[in-house]
Amino acid sequence: MAAPEPPPPEGSRPLSALLGGIAQAAFHGNAAVTDELLRGQLYPEAPPEEFRALRAKMGGLLQSIASADMDLNQLEAFLTAQTKKQGGITSDQAAVIAKFWKNHRTSIHESLINQSRWDNVLKNMNWRVDLKSQLRHIDQINTPVAIVEMEVGKNGQESEFLCLEFDEAKVNQMLKKLSEIEESMTLLTQTT
Amino acid sequence: MGRDAGGAANKINLIPQDFFAELCEQIIHHLNHKIPGVNTAELCQRIQTSGIEINIGDLAKIANILSFLFSTAARNNLSTEELVTTLGSAVSTLPKHALQVIRHVWNEQGKSITAAEDARNVATVGQFVDMKWKLGVAMSSDTCRSLKYPYVTVTLTVADPSGQITDKSFEMTIPQFKNFFRQFKEMASVLETV
Repeated sequence: MAAPEPPPPEGSRPLSALLGGIAQAAFHGNAAVTDELLRGQLYPEAPPEEFRALRAKMGGLLQSIASADMDLNQLEAFLTAQTKKQGGITSDQAAVIAKFWKNHRTSIHESLINQSRWDNVLKNMNWRVDLKSQLRHIDQINTPVAIVEMEVGKNGQESEFLCLEFDEAKVNQMLKKLSEIEESMTLLTQTT
Repeated sequence: MGRDAGGAANKINLIPQDFFAELCEQIIHHLNHKIPGVNTAELCQRIQTSGIEINIGDLAKIANILSFLFSTAARNNLSTEELVTTLGSAVSTLPKHALQVIRHVWNEQGKSITAAEDARNVATVGQFVDMKWKLGVAMSSDTCRSLKYPYVTVTLTVADPSGQITDKSFEMTIPQFKNFFRQFKEMASVLETV
């Protein structure tokens, strides 16, 4: 028998907001969204025990859905199974969860991806073209060069700014390699 | 000074002192960003007119070596004596008047290059040497069993202004990579039109 749920005052809005709050805390790392805050804002009339149970149940479901990055078919099957089991969810709740996941799947998945990027990432890139005069080789007086600035660093840590010079030949060398990558990527997306 | 110095030093013997001084001055002014470059062709013509047999290739080589010498000295903030020491064994092969000119020019104008170089090198512009890459797919993690995101890891081999070669690695998502690629294509088209 499902534990008595706090009556949803305005239909599904508190549940939808609860899911949003859970996602903020669990996936987007927002420490300001506490259980107390959620209860106070969304279910002020509910006894603390009941709210805790609801929050735990919804949190668990959302975790499973996000971890599997469920598509719509998987989601439907999953939620249907949940409505049928002991201590599961109502079909109204299933509908709210489904709608929430449809709207937030991409941003939650992106957050999860970011959580697993521990190495240096490219944060930003700028460039300009200069006319450079230098003496090294007589034929290089007044050649155009690209000056590229790349901001590189680990997520949440200080960046290093790489400032590099590319003449036309080097840019072409880079383009060749980048084309190779693109080719490999195309093969990859064709086979997955 | 490298292996070229031997051959070039021989040719330095040919250049009269005043022309050699002019060459050094032009090089210093170039390093100071006062002039865009050294007018080797014009100087060579005048030297030839005065009866000296030197070809433009040799003069260019000499100019290269002197430029390298002065800019390295500037970067390392060398005093005149330290500069002479840098010349090492080449000192004995250089004609006395050439050495005198180098000392004098450096005494008078060495400091001005140092200042100019410092200002320019603040951003530490390195030279791109090479790039290695790999394409991976992150399948799963402790926070997400079904990550399945493809990413590109790139390692840039870079020569910093002092000549040191280092590797810098970083990761890009597919959208980031596409943007990266697009930017380089834009660079290429701008370089072509300039």
